[in-house]
Amino acid sequence: MIQPFTSDPLRWVAEDGLPIRELPDRFTPAVLRDLHREMVRAREFDKKLVTLLRQGRTTFYAQSSGMEATQVGLARSIRVGHDWVWPYYRDHALGLAMGVPLLDLISQCLGTNSDLCRGRQMPHHFAAQRQNFVSISSSIASQVPPAAGNAMAQKYLGVDEITVCTFGDGATSEGDWHAGMNMAGAAGAPCLFVCENNQWAISTNLRAQTASETIHIKAKAYGMPGYYVDGNDVVAVMEVVSHVAEGVRAGNGPALVECLTYRVGSHSNADADAEKNYRTREEVNAWLARDPITRVERLLDHLGEPVSAEERADLISAVHREVDEAVLRAEATGQPDWRIMFEDVYADTPVHLREQAAFLRNEQEGVGA
Amino acid sequence: MTATQPKPSTTTGAGETRILTLIQAINEAMAEELARDERVVVFGEDVGARGGVFLATAGLQERFGPRRVFDTPLSEASIVGAAVGMAVRGLRPIAEIQFADYMGPGFDQIISQAAKIRYRSGGQFTAPLVIRTPSGGGVKGGHHHSQSPESYFCHTPGLKVVMPSTPYDAKGLLKAAVRGGDPVIYFEPKRLYRAAKGEVPAQDYTVEIGQGAVRREGTDLTIIGYGGVMPDAEKAAQALAAEGVQAEVIDLRSLVPWDRDLVLTSVAKTGRAVLVSEAPRTANFMSEVAYTVQEELFDSLLAPVLQVAGFDTPYPYVQDKVYLPGPNRIAAACVRALNY
Repeated sequence: MIQPFTSDPLRWVAEDGLPIRELPDRFTPAVLRDLHREMVRAREFDKKLVTLLRQGRTTFYAQSSGMEATQVGLARSIRVGHDWVWPYYRDHALGLAMGVPLLDLISQCLGTNSDLCRGRQMPHHFAAQRQNFVSISSSIASQVPPAAGNAMAQKYLGVDEITVCTFGDGATSEGDWHAGMNMAGAAGAPCLFVCENNQWAISTNLRAQTASETIHIKAKAYGMPGYYVDGNDVVAVMEVVSHVAEGVRAGNGPALVECLTYRVGSHSNADADAEKNYRTREEVNAWLARDPITRVERLLDHLGEPVSAEERADLISAVHREVDEAVLRAEATGQPDWRIMFEDVYADTPVHLREQAAFLRNEQEGVGA
Repeated sequence: MTATQPKPSTTTGAGETRILTLIQAINEAMAEELARDERVVVFGEDVGARGGVFLATAGLQERFGPRRVFDTPLSEASIVGAAVGMAVRGLRPIAEIQFADYMGPGFDQIISQAAKIRYRSGGQFTAPLVIRTPSGGGVKGGHHHSQSPESYFCHTPGLKVVMPSTPYDAKGLLKAAVRGGDPVIYFEPKRLYRAAKGEVPAQDYTVEIGQGAVRREGTDLTIIGYGGVMPDAEKAAQALAAEGVQAEVIDLRSLVPWDRDLVLTSVAKTGRAVLVSEAPRTANFMSEVAYTVQEELFDSLLAPVLQVAGFDTPYPYVQDKVYLPGPNRIAAACVRALNY
């Protein structure tokens, strides 16, 4: 039923909300509402963070509007806190849906004392130990070989866990991507690679990124199955990823899933006028028409369980309140002081760092000469 | 040996010692750590049945099985990156990079992942791992089998960098690296693999990372080196002794962190320092040592701090021995410092 290497993306729900395959029993209206709520939450988080960016309260943000079905669907297809995730930098919807507290995400974006990463990383580069959501890197694809190693360790330890490694389409051009895919394949490691193919690496389109027709067919080179999914259809993402994750967990080795989706917003605040510079308004509009949230709403309409306008408005305002409260709570904790520079460099603090810290303490606190 | 055996940082009782080569000591350290801790795994290119190109891992797969000692794809990025992921998930990986010259493809994994993950995650995730790699010249290897890239790694906070020159240190430092909480780049001076022999305790011990060792005591000047240059530094000191000059010889053993107290105490006593490293001169790690000595001991120096290093050229095949700082070049620098 769910086959690798299909020429078209696997899909369960059409853009008009009508199922094109039999809707699996587990997608009850209650489940679909939960998925809808999580996707709206991620969408509104995006909007609020762009506002915070414009207010100068954070300095970097990478939107994932349009990609919610991929990330929420993935989060709902793994065992959160049991499986391990090596994410990339556009994965806040994944983190949110995995249950990383919104306060923790906001705190990281603001670099406050409530930031689990202690204000050391660029905003939007989260880490959450409780969810096994491993620290995000800016360097593209550099999480791929470690994810392979994480999965190799799971196999070595004989635990019933898998590793999930996400990346964008651009990452598949990096040497680290090929190295990590090859390593996981050769080792038969339980690693589920998920390409969130949003079709643009900043201003470079997929067609300039690779001569390969699709991303998922690259899996062949590494001896693993590659699946092609409509990443804007949350039902399809969950059906395929759950199925593939089960196979990975059963010891069948790694697999690659390509979720075809679209980044509706800009890459980051660095290219806020993307439509002017490198892509057309028509293209963006065409993808807006395939919006993953609207698709679930249409599906619920079709099932006779519509989300009312009032219900949706309440949902949106609740998220806005949640973000506003988190911002206030995070900001109230203040910013970490100079000490965080010297901690966590090593397991211990070597003498040269202790001396440099003492120098800075004197300078910052006006103690001694 | 004329060298003063360094005091072990920690030992579990005195006892039997054996004479081992440097590479035997490295092999023994891995075997003992594999036996001690199930989380320890050893991997890299050809480390399994082959036992490594220099046979550092000889016999380990036979003894511990292919689950714990295994060959990997020919990919330094994979080897280092996988080590990071394994360490994050709770193993204690010892990864071998076949030659230090090949660390390039693994460089991003070392500096972006291994070195940073503790810091950037606020200590939520850590990567305690060891990357072993043969380095340095003197084996007619040309520029892709002879380089000394340690300075690249010394410049990256989050990494510890060590380079032993004796079998005793090789074993003790490797065990300390495996048991520590940080990523350690463990350089092995390949020309000493079989040339360096020395007493190694049969019982378990470690050499604490960050401590140097006095190889020879002296009062007239201090020669400071590490790794493959140490036998030549000691030869230079012997030649000077024949002329009535008592040189103190220090082996740094660890570059990050390095033993500033030991160096500064010695140079404060002798007033002169000659720094020896075979890595290219510009931005050589010893520049940091020289800088620290002049900053801390400016008033008590009797001569400028002098450096004997490799040249700022790619490593040459034919002029292999000329490139390296040998005993004559080291002794000449010492004479210059003494005559200043």
